[in-house]
Amino acid sequence: MNTDPNNTPNALPQQLLAPALVNTVHANMIRNRNFNNELMQVTVDLSDADGRVFRYEYRANWSDYLYNAWYSQLTNFRDLYNIASNEVTYNRSYMGIALICQSWIFSLLTDTYGDVPYFQANMGKEKIYEPAFDAQKDIYFDIFKKLEEANEHLSAGTAIEVTSDPVYNGNVNRWRRFGNSLYLRLLMRISGKAEVADTVIKKFQEIVQNNSKYPIMANNDESAILRWTGVSPYTSPFLTVREQDWRAPAIASFFIDNLRTWNDPRIDLSTYAVNGVNRWGIAPYQGGFWGVPSGYEPGTNPVKMSYFYSDAQTVSGAPARSLRTDPLTGQMLNYAEVQFILAEAAAKGWISGSAENYYNKGVQASITLWIPQWNTPVTDYLSAADMSWNDSETLEEKMEKIHLQKYYALFCCDLQQWFEYRRTGHPVLPKGPGLGNGGVMPARMSYPVYVQSTNPTNYKAAVAAQGPDVISTPVWWQKP
Amino acid sequence: MNKKTIAAGKFFARMGLLLITLVVMAGKASLAQQKKITGVVTNPVDNTPVVNASVMVKGTARGTTTDLKGRFTINAAGNERLIISAVGFQVREVAINGRDSLSVQLLLADQQLEGVVVTALGIRREERTLGYATTVVKGEQLTDATSGNWTDALSGKVPGLNLIRSNSGPTGSNKIILRGENNLTGDNEALIVVDGVIINQSSGRRNAIDGESTYGTGSDNMPADYGSGLNDINPEDIESVNVLTGPGAAALYGQRAANGAIIITTKSGRSKKKGLGITVNSNASIEQINRWPDMQYEYGQGLNGQAYYSFGASEDGPSTSSTSSAYGPRFEGQMFYQFDPVTQARGTERTPWVAYPHKIRKYFETGNTLTNTVSIDGGSDKTTARFSLTNVKNKWIIPNTGYNRNTVSMSVNSKVSDKLQISSKINYTNKWSDNLPGAGYGNQSIMYWFIFWQPNADLDWLKDYWVKGQEKRRILYPYSTFPENPYAVAYEFINRSNRHVVTGNVQATYQFTKELSLMLRTSMDLSYENRAQERPYDAGSKFPKGSYRIQSIFSQEASSDFLLKYEKEVSKDFKFSVSAGGSVLRNNYNREETRADSLTFPGVYTMANNAGPLISLPYKSKYGINSFYGIITTGFRDYLYIDLTSRQDWTSVLATPSRTTNSGFFYPSVNVSFIASDAFTLPAIIDFAKLRFSASGVGSGGNKVYLTAYNYTSAGSLFSGGLSNPSLLANPDLRPLRTITYEAGTDIKMYKGRLSLNLTVYAGTTKDQILERILDRSTGYTRMVVNAGKVQNRGIEIALGGTPVTSKNGLTWNTNIIFSSNRNRIAELADSSVVLRLGPVGGGQIVAKVGGSMGDLYGRGYLRAPDGQVVYDANTGVALLTEDVKYLGNVLPKWKLGISNDFKYKRFRLHVLFDAQYGGVAHSLMHYKMAEQGKLTKTLPGRYNGIIGNGVIMDGDGKYVPNNVIAMDIDQYYRSHFGIDNAEGSVFRTDFIKFREARLDYSLGNNALKKLGLQRATIGVYGRNLFIWSEWPMFDPEFGTLSGNDIVQGFEIGQFPSTRTMGVNIVVGF
Repeated sequence: MNTDPNNTPNALPQQLLAPALVNTVHANMIRNRNFNNELMQVTVDLSDADGRVFRYEYRANWSDYLYNAWYSQLTNFRDLYNIASNEVTYNRSYMGIALICQSWIFSLLTDTYGDVPYFQANMGKEKIYEPAFDAQKDIYFDIFKKLEEANEHLSAGTAIEVTSDPVYNGNVNRWRRFGNSLYLRLLMRISGKAEVADTVIKKFQEIVQNNSKYPIMANNDESAILRWTGVSPYTSPFLTVREQDWRAPAIASFFIDNLRTWNDPRIDLSTYAVNGVNRWGIAPYQGGFWGVPSGYEPGTNPVKMSYFYSDAQTVSGAPARSLRTDPLTGQMLNYAEVQFILAEAAAKGWISGSAENYYNKGVQASITLWIPQWNTPVTDYLSAADMSWNDSETLEEKMEKIHLQKYYALFCCDLQQWFEYRRTGHPVLPKGPGLGNGGVMPARMSYPVYVQSTNPTNYKAAVAAQGPDVISTPVWWQKP
Repeated sequence: MNKKTIAAGKFFARMGLLLITLVVMAGKASLAQQKKITGVVTNPVDNTPVVNASVMVKGTARGTTTDLKGRFTINAAGNERLIISAVGFQVREVAINGRDSLSVQLLLADQQLEGVVVTALGIRREERTLGYATTVVKGEQLTDATSGNWTDALSGKVPGLNLIRSNSGPTGSNKIILRGENNLTGDNEALIVVDGVIINQSSGRRNAIDGESTYGTGSDNMPADYGSGLNDINPEDIESVNVLTGPGAAALYGQRAANGAIIITTKSGRSKKKGLGITVNSNASIEQINRWPDMQYEYGQGLNGQAYYSFGASEDGPSTSSTSSAYGPRFEGQMFYQFDPVTQARGTERTPWVAYPHKIRKYFETGNTLTNTVSIDGGSDKTTARFSLTNVKNKWIIPNTGYNRNTVSMSVNSKVSDKLQISSKINYTNKWSDNLPGAGYGNQSIMYWFIFWQPNADLDWLKDYWVKGQEKRRILYPYSTFPENPYAVAYEFINRSNRHVVTGNVQATYQFTKELSLMLRTSMDLSYENRAQERPYDAGSKFPKGSYRIQSIFSQEASSDFLLKYEKEVSKDFKFSVSAGGSVLRNNYNREETRADSLTFPGVYTMANNAGPLISLPYKSKYGINSFYGIITTGFRDYLYIDLTSRQDWTSVLATPSRTTNSGFFYPSVNVSFIASDAFTLPAIIDFAKLRFSASGVGSGGNKVYLTAYNYTSAGSLFSGGLSNPSLLANPDLRPLRTITYEAGTDIKMYKGRLSLNLTVYAGTTKDQILERILDRSTGYTRMVVNAGKVQNRGIEIALGGTPVTSKNGLTWNTNIIFSSNRNRIAELADSSVVLRLGPVGGGQIVAKVGGSMGDLYGRGYLRAPDGQVVYDANTGVALLTEDVKYLGNVLPKWKLGISNDFKYKRFRLHVLFDAQYGGVAHSLMHYKMAEQGKLTKTLPGRYNGIIGNGVIMDGDGKYVPNNVIAMDIDQYYRSHFGIDNAEGSVFRTDFIKFREARLDYSLGNNALKKLGLQRATIGVYGRNLFIWSEWPMFDPEFGTLSGNDIVQGFEIGQFPSTRTMGVNIVVGF
């Protein structure tokens, strides 16, 4: 009699994949908007009230959302792997996809919080109720193992169910390219750490050189993006943000000033606009695009100028084009980012390719992802914008150039702008006088407060190993 | 008289001698002496004499009958017993116990008598024979000062009873907890039994709607409290409520009575009554808010002590009207651009900057309730019946909310033959509401708006709640985007309910012989409810185009049981009974929910009007319990009674799809009652003294289904076939909970009944509680079902009754004091700390740790110097907080006290009841939010000029020195004290004293009644919750919070105002 008639004891990989992807990307998008974009001066949520992220002020209850959402979905991906490796439901592609997604989410977790439960995580079913926290270094190296294994599994090319995969519609080769591109992202992220630099760079080189063993993304179509079709369940999670709230934050001047200076097609109001709205749905202010300086002091009362339109607004007699409903806001890893990773590697001399070439391709892809019909030669665009590659510049200058462009390529990609800024210090952001945290970019989110009681022993051990549980404590790869 | 007495004395002396001779001849040594005993027999219902009743000395041929005044005289020895019977009354046996005069009350057919209580399984027992504590609350005690939920009337009357109120609207439900909480999650409520029908899990089940939470900051629908079947019982129909606080008392009810039981007996018909037997009871009451937070009206909307205000950007500066805070300009009659309700935009001219003190209170209305009951009862010698009809109409304090209820109940009791008796009780209730308020804290709730509203804003501006030209599409709200317009919430955010409940039982008792009887009974609790939630366009981020959701809920619990009883009086000194019984219980629950979360046309609430796909959320559950049980009762010489009970339950909720072990459990109890006053000669002032002792074991599997197997849940019907792992981790090894409780007590009556004392002490250990523990999400799950450790409870319950003043037809003063205290200690746990509940802010959480107690509240709080002083930041002057959570108190009160006084003077009666609780704390979300936003007067000091917090700072050398830093950023200063990260700043004691009940009655005298042709007529005025004395800063310190299907303590989350009720009541009997 105690057999649940509402739920089911069995699940197939194709049943678990899509919801888990949607839920993960949903959480990423929400915090991309109200955390990453505020820290990284994309937007400024104008207010003198306390707890403004753009002033580097942090409230402890911000920690729970991503931690809970990511670990929840890891349960599904872990399960997906187990079921796919089961004899009856054996499918190497699902195994590979599950490993890639786990690697992806765990990297987000550790880059956000530092040391987190990893090896014992998501094992509640195996009766581990207080999992130990693992060192970020160990997490990274195990992720690399997972990505190797995923690459192997996916090389078999086993078919998966098309409808189960909202990212690549069943194209397992593209998953493989995503996995290896992610591999590059993560190798790059810890490459500044002296103790592992050699190993990491070697692996990086191997991946780039051996394209047949490690295929990576080759064009924008291969970008890992959960595209919102507008048809349930694939409606944009941004629709859960109230319209008024969606329109509330001002565009930050750092974000908009560059685009305006570069005459960037993504804010262009003529050729690439629809009904008078640019590609990114940014509202002009008095005929131009103007932002608010981030980090301003309370009492300054800056006037909100440009902002992101909501779809309920009417422009030129039609509903405004808005990122709130845009299909491209669920980015996981795009082709342009890969090109910028390669550009950095080339600039640092790890790989033999031309940094300029990678850089140009990155910029091109970053724009054409949003505006496929853009046909201005990228070099023309760059020279007009005074952003052309110059091999004679210092590495620091090159890094700034790469990362300024990469910053725009990472628009709508979870917290990657923040992670990359923490890693490189690029692009250089202006610091407002109202900043908290000593004017230093927060290095992490603190652990959810409830973990102090739900996992007390391991929490204390983690704090002892990593440093105080505050936003100014750098994570392992951030320390020299 | 004197002569007669002497003569009679002689006669009796002679008779006595003769008797002694006879006894000796019969070989029985009895030295007792007969004497003349006088007495009166009355009907306890109306205190009329019972005429022509037969009075017999037990085991003899001596007998007499009562006269017209119900009086009798008989000769008997002090150790003999009288048997009194009368047509239409139940036979009663009374021990003489050496008394010279007796006053005997006779029980009308199927009616309860003082001293007789209904115990587990509906077995009626004489209270004196019971080895455990029981408290009887009579029907009239429940109707003295009625409220929307009759269980409110149990407050302050039952030692050890703790009511947790949801405070969530007119049909707000209560949860009854007996003897402190063993268990903070899951199953900790007392069992509710109405005429043998257990109603907890069917019509009495509270059931939440998926996704609705009192902390609804995700723009979800706010939960309405649809009430439970317990609320819907008509208090006018209640004969008595017997509270079995301890598990020993309830052991026979089986696993579900591990937390005690509340046994409700409804009225039955009475025969042999004068008049038509019609009673009309009319009740009209009003309900008003009795307490308000201390809100400030000195400063208006704004941040950081801004000197100007501007609604939207103006030539005065950028907009300051989007903030929710009131740290803006002081009200000095300055001129600012403000909201203009006519244009619904910024005024074209500056207007005076003024406050609207307390105008926010005008939003709330005076509630009123009209209750009318007609009951008819009567019967013949063989059959009695009662029928009653009640109509209730309620309008609550929030505009456009309230409910209606009709109740019909019928009771029939028939003595088919000398051997067979059949009785049946059926109760039908229909309760419906066109709108119940959504409770809690979220954009759709009224209290959320209450927090966010501004002192410089006029409530009247909100009354036209549509944006002009966008009627039904856009809701007007001038300020921050978070709250909704409260008038729109009241008139457009509708929560409907229509519930039909039928509870009833049919029972047959067959008396094979004088010794052997069999009872068969079947009972049913059936409920069907339709609910709907309508949301207009612009109802928040979840419902930009409105929403329409409907639920149909079918809930049924059926049980059948039998009890075979053999009783035998072996000798005068020893009698016993043996009973054996069994029961089968099945519970079914079915809920169908359909959602249209986007509508094509605004304001049209039909499924056909859906703009997106319909979402369907079906849910079913089913469980069963089978049981066998036995009872042995023994009585020795009428002063020592020993009961032994045992029960074996098998519950399906502990089984898994693959095993049924663990699902059965056995538990025994022993109860001893010793009447010391009968066994020994005690000082004359003591009328009655009893010692009791009980030891019992109870097991329970809880009542939550499907916790023992791992199942994937639907990822939502929009993913065709999509699944997700559950957030609650199942436990396939789930074991039953075990409680062992030892209880001892005494009941003493002194000074001819003018002083009485009931005292109970108990100690219990609960092992393997089934609870839901909150996990670190990195385990992959949010919560898990565990058998957690070992918890010890001990406590004391005292009821002291006295009649300080009594005079015939003059003044009588009765007083009753109840006191209870419970302490709880966690002795063992599976892990070092188990988190039971998380509060919404400040890291607030309820954590169980070994050595701690259930209900320990932790959270982030002030950083304190070693001497306990608050440490302030040496630069900014704001209070510093701990990184870690710390202990902030316990949410369960340490003791409760109730004092009631009843005065009777001629035809007047005055009743007053005060009660109090002490020793608990709770976190107030509303306080945090209102203080943080500068809405409370406590945030006034230091505006403009800064403030130096009371405490210390750390100087350059790492030493603590008195704080001398002026905090200039005043909202930051108050945020450091009361803000989101500081749980301690909004934790307050929940101690209170309440003037709980008052009632003044006048009853017409016999002459007046005769003239009017009435049997009885009473008019009364009453009040409930008249005053609250408490340091709790918000509304009611005695709050509960709806949490899914539960009502929980510890975290106040947008509580509705507390109210006082005042009313008039007229009872007329024909």
